Amino acid sequence: MTATTETPAVSPSEGREIVFDVNHITLRFGGVTSINDVSLRMYRDEILAVIGPNGAGKTSLFNSLTGVYTPQEGSITLAGRTGDAPQTVIGKKTHVINHMGVARTFQNIRLFPALTALENVKVGIETRMKAGPIASMLGLPNQRREERESTQRAYDLLKLVGLVNRANNLAGSLAYGEQRRLEIARALGTDPGVILLDEPAAGTNPVEKRDLADLIRLINRELGISVLLIEHDMKLVMSVADRLIVLNFGSKIAEGLPEEIQRNPAVIAAYLGTSAEEAEAQAEAQPELELIADETEGMTSLAESTEPDGTSFDPTTSTEEESR
Amino acid sequence: MSAATTDTPTPSQGPTPYAIKPPSGVVHNPHVRRFVACLALGFVLALMIGEQEGTQQDFGLAFREAVALPRILIFLGIGILVFLAITFWPRIEHFLIRPGIRPLFVGLLSVAVSQTLLKWSDSSVVGNGKFGTLAGKAADTPQLAPFARAYFTTGVAWAALIVVVVVAAYAIFTGQRAVAWVGAGLAVVVGLWAFFSQGRVVSLLQTPDHSTGALVALLGYLAIAAACAACALRRTETADTKGFIDRVFAWRPGMPLAAVGIVVGLVSLGVATWFSPQNEDLTLVDTASFFSGHGLAPLSQAYLSWLGYLLFVVAAVLAVLGCLRRDTRIAWATAVVGIVGAVLTLMTLYSTSSLGAKSGFDGASGAWQNLGGGGWFAAAAFTILAGAGYIVLSVAHDVKVGKLSDLGSDIVGQARQVPGMGKALVLLVVAAALFYPPTATEFWQKVIVSEIGIYVLLAIGLNVVVGWAGLLDLGFIAFYAIGSYTTAYLVGALPITPPEWLRLPPLAAIPFAIVICLIAGVALGFPTLRLRGDYLAIVTLGFGEIIRLVAINNPANFTNGPRGAFGIPQPSIHLGPLHIDWGSSSLQYWYLLLVLIGVTVLLFNRLEQSRLGRAWAAIREDEVAAQASGVNTVRVKLLAFAIGASTSGVAGVFFASQIGYINPDNFILNNSILVVAYVVFGGMGSLPGAMAGAAVLTWLPEFLKDQVPAEDRQMWIGAVILLMMIFRPQGLIPAKRRAAELHGLDDQPREETRAVPAGEGMGGGR
Amino acid sequence: MTDFLNYLILGLTRGSMYALIALGYTLVYGVLQLINFAHSEVFMSGAFGSYLVVSGVVGSHHNLPWYATVGVLLIGLGSGAAVGAFVAWALERVAYRPLRERGAPKLAFLISAIGASFFLSQLAGKLFNRLSQNQFPTYFNANGAALHIGGASVSWIQLIVIVSALVLMIGLDRLVNGTKLGSSIRGVAEDAPTAALMGIDIDKTISRTFIIGGALGGAAGFLFGTAFVFSNTMGFIPGVKAFAAAVLGGIGNIRGAMIGGLLLGVVENLVPTAPWNGGQAWIGIQWTDVVAFVVLILVLVLRPTGILGEKLGRAA
Repeated sequence: MTATTETPAVSPSEGREIVFDVNHITLRFGGVTSINDVSLRMYRDEILAVIGPNGAGKTSLFNSLTGVYTPQEGSITLAGRTGDAPQTVIGKKTHVINHMGVARTFQNIRLFPALTALENVKVGIETRMKAGPIASMLGLPNQRREERESTQRAYDLLKLVGLVNRANNLAGSLAYGEQRRLEIARALGTDPGVILLDEPAAGTNPVEKRDLADLIRLINRELGISVLLIEHDMKLVMSVADRLIVLNFGSKIAEGLPEEIQRNPAVIAAYLGTSAEEAEAQAEAQPELELIADETEGMTSLAESTEPDGTSFDPTTSTEEESR
Repeated sequence: MSAATTDTPTPSQGPTPYAIKPPSGVVHNPHVRRFVACLALGFVLALMIGEQEGTQQDFGLAFREAVALPRILIFLGIGILVFLAITFWPRIEHFLIRPGIRPLFVGLLSVAVSQTLLKWSDSSVVGNGKFGTLAGKAADTPQLAPFARAYFTTGVAWAALIVVVVVAAYAIFTGQRAVAWVGAGLAVVVGLWAFFSQGRVVSLLQTPDHSTGALVALLGYLAIAAACAACALRRTETADTKGFIDRVFAWRPGMPLAAVGIVVGLVSLGVATWFSPQNEDLTLVDTASFFSGHGLAPLSQAYLSWLGYLLFVVAAVLAVLGCLRRDTRIAWATAVVGIVGAVLTLMTLYSTSSLGAKSGFDGASGAWQNLGGGGWFAAAAFTILAGAGYIVLSVAHDVKVGKLSDLGSDIVGQARQVPGMGKALVLLVVAAALFYPPTATEFWQKVIVSEIGIYVLLAIGLNVVVGWAGLLDLGFIAFYAIGSYTTAYLVGALPITPPEWLRLPPLAAIPFAIVICLIAGVALGFPTLRLRGDYLAIVTLGFGEIIRLVAINNPANFTNGPRGAFGIPQPSIHLGPLHIDWGSSSLQYWYLLLVLIGVTVLLFNRLEQSRLGRAWAAIREDEVAAQASGVNTVRVKLLAFAIGASTSGVAGVFFASQIGYINPDNFILNNSILVVAYVVFGGMGSLPGAMAGAAVLTWLPEFLKDQVPAEDRQMWIGAVILLMMIFRPQGLIPAKRRAAELHGLDDQPREETRAVPAGEGMGGGR
Repeated sequence: MTDFLNYLILGLTRGSMYALIALGYTLVYGVLQLINFAHSEVFMSGAFGSYLVVSGVVGSHHNLPWYATVGVLLIGLGSGAAVGAFVAWALERVAYRPLRERGAPKLAFLISAIGASFFLSQLAGKLFNRLSQNQFPTYFNANGAALHIGGASVSWIQLIVIVSALVLMIGLDRLVNGTKLGSSIRGVAEDAPTAALMGIDIDKTISRTFIIGGALGGAAGFLFGTAFVFSNTMGFIPGVKAFAAAVLGGIGNIRGAMIGGLLLGVVENLVPTAPWNGGQAWIGIQWTDVVAFVVLILVLVLRPTGILGEKLGRAA
C-alpha cells in the first residue's frame, strides 16, 4: 500500500510541465480530517481523474485547489496556463485563482438559474473584460465592442457544448444534463488553462454520458485545457482519463494508469469495503471492472443524499466561510 | 441512475428551506379554523374602520365603540361572507373563469369606488366633493339639465349600476350573446350619462375641476361594456385575458397606442377645458373665439381655429395607416407630425396664457396660468400618436436586425413577449408623466414632486443595491441625508461655510454629492460587505441612525443640530443663452426631477444589461459559483453600494434645494425602511417595478387622506403592504430575472432541475 | 465611582430589557433565519395589554402593601406575556406562514413584517391613544432605593426589572435546553428538513417559537412600561437596539442574545458618560445611540458571527 502511494506517476510524466503541484496538504474541519497528507502532481494537457468512495475527500480537494477551503498544512502551487510561472494557491481568493486559469464545475450544479444560458456563460467570459460601470452606463464604444465579443464567444461555447438552441432559455429551466453542460460552458468562458469537473456525469443518462466523454476529450485535445475530473462512473473515467488518483478517507491510496488502478487491490478493497486480500482474490477472478462500476453506481445515489452540498461539507464551516 | 437526482433532498429548494408540511399531529376541522379566522378578520376590520379612538382616561372606548355597537354585526357578516366564498370556492370557481368576468369585476369595483371614495368635484361649494355630497346638492339645483339631475337623484346612480351589472352578469353566466350586446350598450350609455352629468354640474359651478370620480366611473362602465363584448365575442368558454391583450397588441404593433392617442385627442379637442380664468370654462372652440382679435401670435391663432384640428386629424390618420400597413415611411411621418403637433400645442398654450396674463385675467402673473387640462391632453395625444409611429419603426427595426424572428414571436427574450408592448406602456407612462401634472391641483403637484418623484428616484437607487445585487440596505436614507447636507454646506447654508471658491449653486452640488456619497458608500461597504445579509441589514441600519444622530448632535457646529439648515437657494441654470430659475411652483421642479429620473433610468437600464448587471445577478443567485467564475464579489458589491448611494445623494441635492430647508427629522430611519418596502412592493430587481412601488405607496397615503382619518393612514398602508406580500410576494411588476426564481417556470420540466440550489436571498444568506 | 455604579445599574436595567426582546429576535432567527421586524410591536402590545389588565384589576391604587405589589407584578408579567404571545402567534400565522408556504424570497418576509409592524403600532394608536408618555399607575414607591451598593443605590423598579429578566432568561434557557419542545426548536434551527424527517412538526415548532419569543417580548413590554413610559410607537427604538443586541451576541444564539443585550445596555450607558467623575463627560449622553451602533458595527466587522457565534443548537 505504501509502495503504491509513494510511486511517482508513470513514466511519460518526466519533463512535462506541472499544472498543480500539491504537496502534503491536510484539511481539517474541527476534529474531522477531510484531507490527510495528500500529494499529487497534475501535468499539462492531461486528463487526470480523482476517484474514490464518497467521503473520500475529493470535493474537499477541489475546494482546496480553488481557494474555497484553505488547507491547514501543505502547499499547492499552480501554473494555470501554458508558460505561467508556478504560484502558490494557498490563501488566495477563489476569483483570483480563477483568474490564474482555474475553472471548475460543481457536484451539485450551481448555475445562476434566473439568468439565461447565454448570460450564464457571459458572466464567466466577462470577468476578463475591462469596461467599468460608467462605460456601461454611457454605452461607450469599447464597452459595446466587449459586449459583442462576449456574446459571440458565449454563442461559440454554447455551440461547443451543444446548447446553442437553448441560449435564451433561463438556466433554471434547462434539463439536468443540459445544466451540467452549461456549467462546463460557463467554466470554459473564463478562459482556463485547467478545468476541474466535479462529477459531471452525475444524474445523466447513458447517451449523455457518451456525449460528455466526447466533450471532455474535445476540451482536452482541441482546446488544450488540462482536465481534472472527479467521477464515479467508472466506464467514463476509464475511457477518458490518462491517469487516475484514488482517494479514500482523505488519503491517497493509489495513483497510476487506468489499467493499473483497475487491478490495484487496495482500490478494489476501498470500493467494496472488504480487506485487500479478499479483493485481490476477487479481482483475479474477475479482472474486468464491471463489478466495481455497478457497485459504485449504487453508491452514488446513496451517497449523494448524505452529502447534500458539494462545497459545504460541514454546515458550520460553510456559514463562517460565507460570512467571512 | 436518475434516482440520484430526484431522490436527493436538497435542503435549499426555495429561499426558505422548509415549505414541507409534515402531517399535523392533531386533526382540526379546517372549516372551523377557517370560520374562526374569517370572524377574526371581520373583527379586525371593525376595529380598523371608524372614527373612534381611545383616550387616556378610557382605553377601552375604542374597543367598545368598535365591538359593542350593532355595527360589529356588519363586519362579522363580511367575515362570514368571506368564509362562504372560500369554502364554496371550488363551486364558484368555474363560473369565474368565464370570459368577461374579470373586466366585469374591475368595472363594478371602479364604479363603486368612484361613487364612494373619489371626489366628483373640487369646488368648495360642494363640501367634501364626494359623490354623495355632490348628488345631494345637484338633485335640488333646478338650473341643472334634467338628465343630469336624474342621475344625481338619490339611488338612481346605484340602481343604474346594479341594473348594468345584473344584465352583464346574466349574459356572462348564461352565455347569451344578444343579452351581452344589450349589456354592453347599456353600460356605455350609463357611463356616458354619469360622465356628462358631472360635466354639467362642473360647468354650472364654473371652477376648474380636477376630480377623477366621473372619469373613473366612465372607465368602470367601459370595462363592464368590454366584459359584455368579451362575452359576446368569446371563442372559448374560459377567459384568457392575458392572451387577449397579447393578441390586441400583437395584431398591429402601435395600434393600441394610436387608439389611445385618438381618444385622448378627441376628448381634448372636443370637450376639455383649454382656458379657464375665473367664471370661464373655455373649450378649444371657445378659446379660439375668446382670443381672436386680441393680438394673439398668428400661429397660435391658427392652431386654435383650424391648425390644431388639422394636425390632429393628419396625425391620427397617419398613425392608423402606419400601424395597419406597418409602413416605416408613414410611421416616420406620423412621428414627425406628432412631435410638431405637441410642440405647437405647447407654444399655443404659452402664447394664450401669457396673453391672458397680460390682459390681467384672474390675476395671473405670467405664462402657464389659468390653463385647463385640454391643451395638455392635446399635447399628450400628439405625443402618444408620435409614439405609435415610433413603435412601428422599432418593431420593423427589430425584425430587420433579426431580434424578432417574425411578427408576434420574440426569439431574444426567453419570456414570450409581444413586440412593442413594453415600449407602448413606457410611452404612455412618459406621456402621462409629462402632461398630467400640469392639470393636477396644486396639492397633488406638491405630492407628485416631493413625495412621489423623490421617492421614485430613491427607489431606483435602492433597487440597484437590494434588487440587483441582493444586499439588504436599511440605512439608505443616510446617503440622502449626506447629499442634502453636502448641498447645504456648498451653498453656505450651514454654520460652517465653505471657502469662497467652493461656494456653489445647488445644481452644481450634484457632482460633489455623488462623489461624497460614493466615498461614504465605499467607506461603509468595504468593512461590512463581507457580512452576511442580515448583518449587513443591521449595520446599514445602524449607519443610518448614526448619520441622523450626528446631524442632531451637531459636532463641531457643522450640522446646526436639530434646527438644520435653511435658506438653501432654489436651483437655477445659467449656461450661455439658457437661463432657468426654479421658483416656488412644484410643477417646475417636477420637470427637473423628471430629467433626473429619466437620465438615471436610462443609465441604469444599460447597466442592468451590462456585465456588471449580470455579475450582480450572479452574486445574488449563487455567490460561491460567481466567485468560481471569476467574479470579484467584494468589488461588485461595493459598486452596487456606491452607485445606489450616489443616486440617493442626487435625490438629496434635489430635495435640499427644492424645499429650501432641511433638518434631521427628514432623515429618520422609518424612511429608509419605507424605501425598502417600496422596492420590494414594486418588484425587487425590476426598474419599472421599483418606480411603480414607490409611486403607488407614496400616492396611497395622500389618496387615503380623503378616505380615512389622517392618523390611520399608516395603519392602512401597513395592511396593504402585508396583503401584497401575502398574495403577491414578487411585487407589482416582477423583474424578468426574478420572476423565474419566484414561481418557477410553467413551460419547462421542473422536477429534474430541483437539484439546483436556489441560493436565493440577501447576500446568498444560506 | 458612584456615578460609574449608577450608570452600570442603569445599563443593566436597560440591557436586561434589550436581552428579553433580543431573545424573541434570536429565537425566530434560529428557526426561520429571518429578522422578525414586527417583534418590536409584540413588545409594545405587551405594554398596552398588561396595562389594560393591571389597571383593570388594581385600578389606580397607590402604594400597595408589598404582597399586593408582588401580585401586581405577577399579573403584569403574566398578562404582558400572554398578550405578547398571542400577537406573536397571530403574526406568524398571518404575516409569515402564508409566505413560507409559497416559498417567498427572504426579503418578502421582511417587508410583510414591516407592514405588520406599521399596522400593529398604528392600530394600537387608534385603539388606545397616540400620546407619547403613557404611564402605569404608581403602585409603590418605585424610585425608592431598594439596596445600596458601594454608594450607588438600586431603585426598586430597577431591581424588579433586572431580577424578573434574569428569572425569565434562566427559565427560557431551561426550556430550550431541557425540554422536548426545546429540543425540537433546536432541531429545527439546526436543520429543518432533517428535523421534519425525524417527525418534528415544523409548523408547530415555529409557531411555538414565536409564542415563546412573544411572551418574553410582552413581559419586557410590561417591565419597560412600569420602569419608563409607554406609547404605541415605543417599540421601535428598543426593538432596533434589541435586534442589534441579538446580532451582537450572535444571532440565533440564545445565550448570545442575553449577553449581547446586557452588554449593549451597559456599554451604551457607560461609554458616553465616562469618566464618571460627575464632571463633563467626554462623549456625552446625546451620543448614547451612536455609541451603541458603533460598538455593534465594530464587533461585527471584527467578529462577524457575533460574540458567541450563531447556532441556536450550539447554545446547548
